[in-house]
Amino acid sequence: MTLTRRNVLAGASALAASSTLPFAARANDPLGVGFVLIGPVGDFGWSTMHDVGRRRMEEVLGDAVTTTQVEAVAPPDFDRVVNTLARAGNRLIFTTSFSYFQPTLRMAEQFPDVMFENATGTSTRDNLAIYNARFYEGRYVQGVIAAMKSQTKQIGYVASFPVPEVIHAINTVMRGAWSVDPEMRIRVVWVNAWFNPGVEADAARALVDQGCDVLCQHTDSPAPLQLADERGIHGFGQASDMTRFAPNAHLTSSINNWGDYYAARAQAMIDGTWEPADTWGGLESGMFELAPFTNMTPEQASTAENVVAGLRDGSIDPFAGPIVNQAGEQVIAEGESLTDDQIRAMNFFYEGIDVSMPG
Amino acid sequence: MTLAEAIFLTVITASTPLLLAAIGELVVERSGVLNLGVEGMMIMGAASGVAIAIITGSSLLGVVAAIGAGMAMAALFALLTLGLATNQVAAGLSLTIFGLGLSGVIGAPFVGVPRAGIPRIEVPILSDIPVIGAIFFRQDPFVYLSIALVLGVAWFLWRTKAGLVLRACGENPVSAHALGYPVLRIRFLAVLFGGACAGLGGAYLSLVLTPFWTAGMTAGRGWIALAIVVFASWLPWRAMLGAYLFGGLIILQLHAQSAGIRVPSQLLAALPYLLTIVALTVIMALRRGGGQVAPQGLGRPFVPDR
Amino acid sequence: MRLTLERRDSTGMAGLLLSPLLAVALTLASSIVVFWALGQDPWRALNVYFLMPVSDFWGVQEVAVKATPLVLIAVGLALCFRSGNWNIGAEGQFLIGAICGGGIAVWTHGWGGPWVLPLMLVAGMVGGALYGLIPAILKTRLRVNEILVSLMLVYVADLLLDWLVRGPWRDPFGFNMPQTITFAPEATLPILFDGGRMNLGTVITLVVVAVATVVMARTLKGFEIKLVGEAPRAARFAGFDDKRLTLTVFAVSGALAGLAGVMEAAGTVRQLLPGFSPGYGFTAIIVAFLGRLNPVGCLIAGVFIAITFIGGENAQIILRLPRDMTLVFQGMLLFYILACDTLILYRPRLVPRRAPA
Repeated sequence: MTLTRRNVLAGASALAASSTLPFAARANDPLGVGFVLIGPVGDFGWSTMHDVGRRRMEEVLGDAVTTTQVEAVAPPDFDRVVNTLARAGNRLIFTTSFSYFQPTLRMAEQFPDVMFENATGTSTRDNLAIYNARFYEGRYVQGVIAAMKSQTKQIGYVASFPVPEVIHAINTVMRGAWSVDPEMRIRVVWVNAWFNPGVEADAARALVDQGCDVLCQHTDSPAPLQLADERGIHGFGQASDMTRFAPNAHLTSSINNWGDYYAARAQAMIDGTWEPADTWGGLESGMFELAPFTNMTPEQASTAENVVAGLRDGSIDPFAGPIVNQAGEQVIAEGESLTDDQIRAMNFFYEGIDVSMPG
Repeated sequence: MTLAEAIFLTVITASTPLLLAAIGELVVERSGVLNLGVEGMMIMGAASGVAIAIITGSSLLGVVAAIGAGMAMAALFALLTLGLATNQVAAGLSLTIFGLGLSGVIGAPFVGVPRAGIPRIEVPILSDIPVIGAIFFRQDPFVYLSIALVLGVAWFLWRTKAGLVLRACGENPVSAHALGYPVLRIRFLAVLFGGACAGLGGAYLSLVLTPFWTAGMTAGRGWIALAIVVFASWLPWRAMLGAYLFGGLIILQLHAQSAGIRVPSQLLAALPYLLTIVALTVIMALRRGGGQVAPQGLGRPFVPDR
Repeated sequence: MRLTLERRDSTGMAGLLLSPLLAVALTLASSIVVFWALGQDPWRALNVYFLMPVSDFWGVQEVAVKATPLVLIAVGLALCFRSGNWNIGAEGQFLIGAICGGGIAVWTHGWGGPWVLPLMLVAGMVGGALYGLIPAILKTRLRVNEILVSLMLVYVADLLLDWLVRGPWRDPFGFNMPQTITFAPEATLPILFDGGRMNLGTVITLVVVAVATVVMARTLKGFEIKLVGEAPRAARFAGFDDKRLTLTVFAVSGALAGLAGVMEAAGTVRQLLPGFSPGYGFTAIIVAFLGRLNPVGCLIAGVFIAITFIGGENAQIILRLPRDMTLVFQGMLLFYILACDTLILYRPRLVPRRAPA
């Protein structure tokens, strides 16, 4: 239920009542869906794409849902924001960052009648689902393309923070690149920010000045890609289709597409079929997609398409053994493959990646 | 282009927004006003600049809008701190909150809209000189403007009567007033100048360095500009040194990472801040017993007695 | 005609009462215009902003949770600012306090006892105080400006926290994510009332406010702080050592910010992770000045600012306003309050324009 004009006008007493009375959603009331975002919707990356997903869900489900989002919620404020969202009648709440995982567990316990979904979380409970996309599949494709485009055999990687998501992405880029050319090397700069356009651009400059001629980025802004365009080299877009920012440099972008997932989950709530699933969707799921390949020859594009097809049908497994870490220890043997939990927690670089593990 | 040349070029572009904002704040503080709202004015410049540039298709109008937005914010600050003699620190911090919010509102329709950056100016003949040519004569207009501003401010503060009066307002507003100078009006103009420079610094970010808008894209540069003014001991030349030193340290740490130095990235990222402290400490240790550096009347409201 | 300010002969009661009332009236008037322009029902919007956060006991507790670190830091900063010391780096001292106290929680996890919590609080205070002393020592020894040093150390503290939670203090069962373990119960501040989040930290803060009030109003130290700030030369003649005082106030304000940090870690967040503070150390500077650098004033201002923050969240949730809009509104509110403050000290007067002298 939403707060109607009348009970909001009642103001204080309405809210006091709302905190003591359990909200029983009536059958024909729209489903309230809340979103807690880690950044501002204007970051043009992670949070913007969750906002796009929310709008998409509204588009698909129309009057069946009402949505509410709260931006840039810091950890100390999280419990209060979720509490207020729940009190305002939201029955399904998406918390879109790993930083929210522990507090979401806590709140899920406190509000057993509200269903929670945490993006990039690591475990579920009765009323808590987790979801993420296998963005690393896109990274593998980036590695393949990078190896085909690079003259200097050096990939530059503008990295945000050393979290497993970024670490396995770097490993996968290299795995993809080595599948084309085992001579490929990578340089990594950590900018210690998810978005800070100026520093992202400066990091990209440093990488290019040191000889990289294809840039990957794990930060939100189009700055590294634009820099690639300015320097006449190539790069990949992040989170949305960034072709327009670098018409001559753009190769492909990894596009986050949460909308259909959100719509399906809200529909499941409405139908009463919602379950605390662990969803980790790959290219075949549509939770992310690759922008049309640009600035490459038809042969290169068709090689990339074949890799995409292989990833979709499972014939290419980016985490198939043998995998050897930087210390020379075998992590997984030939014929086996890393488990999802091993990928989620990945904390080492592969042998041959000459980058030290920060922290 | 050699690696060293490339690094120099990057340092200059990375430092220019800091320098632009810092040179403006330096004049403000010289007049005795402490405006901690640089970040807010800067981000308003970035948002307004890119908004107007996209709407009109003119980078120049974008720059003008950015300057205007910075000055409007500064005027608001002046109304509070000069017109109503409110506390400058609180007013400046409030201005930053206000600016961060309003810039987001202005910028919202322009998230994800690309546009070409402002091109560089190549000075004929001179730009062909090896090394020096690339560094000094192949820059964008803002870089030249920032250096001109440093020169201009240095000349104004120490070589003109108006500059002397402005400094007098910062050192001892009561005496300046007693001598018949309109302290509040002079401070008002200084604050406006500071706003214009901060707006310009913001425009450099959103129109040249990374030509697009994202929320919070100044990412704390306004605060660094404030630190640079202090580092400079309120001297324009030292502000230039400070901005380039700080920008240089940022770029060097990125290069060190790219080169694969095996040191935690957080330590490298902390170095610019630590080394700025060390540098200022060394400077102060070398000039033991020197005179007072901060303007004496800095941060104190002045209300003329009639 | 132009507006000039005339200093009041004495701080009249009328001004003291009139100022907040006028600020409220102006705020209400212009909020009505702003919300109306945004297509919102102004009465409903005001209700959501200012009444909803305090409409029930849970809400009041949340206001206390939000206000506690702000008030505690601001009380310390007020001492600094009163004595003419510019500590802009409370945010860094806050983080170091959280790191020092949180470190003990991480270290003793699994074998701690009831002694853990007191030890954490002390460690947080000591850490914050030592971190606050860095700018103070550089200032008193080498006259290095404290604004620069304290501000730069904020970034250093932030990166140190980042490194710790990604490296040595990372939760071993946390999928290598940047966060510590969730603190054990003996490393957590007790919650005061079931169902809420208000914890012992609020009580400690109120005690600190009371002590600071007495110190400022009744003790020689309080007199010294005020005198050094207002008349440094007179203070020197009176035999007060301003360098020693600089060290003292920086240590005290660092300790209070550090205490706020460790209490936030042990009470509200219960683990360390990056982005742990929403800028409390900077917001507290506004709180200190809105509270006129007076401990009780800081308490009132802290509660008020906390309400505007929570009101902003409510506006996002109930009115579906974007966050940026709530920041604009908060900035505007602050402008009004600052502007109306002027009325206490000055009498505005319209005078005919005269030729500049």
